[in-house]
Amino acid sequence: MRISRPATATVGPTGAPAPVRDVRAEERPAERGPDGWSTVVWNDPVNLMSYVTYVFRTYFGYPQATAERLMRQVHTEGRATVSRGNREQMEADVQAMHGFGLWATVQAAER
Amino acid sequence: MRGFRPEDGAGFVALLDPTERVVLLDVVDEVLALVGADAPGGGIPEDVPDDPLASVRVSQGPVTPPWDPALRRLLPDASREDTELAAEFRRLTEADLRVTKHRNLLRLRAALEGARPELVVVASEAEQVAAALTDLRLVASERLGVRTDADADALYDLVGREHDDDPDDSEVSQRFLATVYVVLSLLQESLVDLMLAGLTEGTAPPP
Repeated sequence: MRISRPATATVGPTGAPAPVRDVRAEERPAERGPDGWSTVVWNDPVNLMSYVTYVFRTYFGYPQATAERLMRQVHTEGRATVSRGNREQMEADVQAMHGFGLWATVQAAER
Repeated sequence: MRGFRPEDGAGFVALLDPTERVVLLDVVDEVLALVGADAPGGGIPEDVPDDPLASVRVSQGPVTPPWDPALRRLLPDASREDTELAAEFRRLTEADLRVTKHRNLLRLRAALEGARPELVVVASEAEQVAAALTDLRLVASERLGVRTDADADALYDLVGREHDDDPDDSEVSQRFLATVYVVLSLLQESLVDLMLAGLTEGTAPPP
């Protein structure tokens, strides 16, 4: 992942994109979801740390601290589990991550 | 080139010189062609209906993964170990993902068309433009053989280094593509910093 330079510009009011789903059940993404499936995001040398954080905040609705923690986990450990749920939900999340240009995979429930 | 800055009423504005504009338009067109190439169902439809359900295209038969590693990076496998899952995911989602990427790239293209010299991105379109910039950088990095963080850092060194007296064609094209990558990175960094700063902490989703 690429380290962004610190922001130097001042920022005016912008429309904050709305979180697209209710994530109250996912505020602790490391916990096992109801059906054991999960979405894993993998590190790559191209995506910016700021962009990955932005995606985790806006798509999953995670607070800044959670989004940054997951982003750093991707960077340092090479991967991070970013959501858990049933297979259908995880496939939707993976497709969304691919839409953003992040590489994500669906991890099956352990049998 | 000057990166994005916030501008009242306009959203985010970067500056491009005429050469940069033409080069970036070429790069966008190349990636548009890549995303549209050999698409399941015979390519990206010109008119994507507004009704999201009408645009859902599921392939009847298996969809072969792209042979081009750059396109494969844009349309990656959804599983590393489960080929059946990856194949089924690809059959269900690849056509849709191509439409999403095509749409994002067209959004960036329209902004570049109007960049004389101001590249204007309104806040509501910033996410699409940032995603399109990601896809351009992924394709450029794949073409440049970037595999590690160190490879990516080396591109900045290559662009900043003095030219050789007598560069061969491959050095010239490597340096050109590396310059494109660096320009795209600067544009994306400046845009995403503003997008991130514009998010408010802890807001509930609007109804």
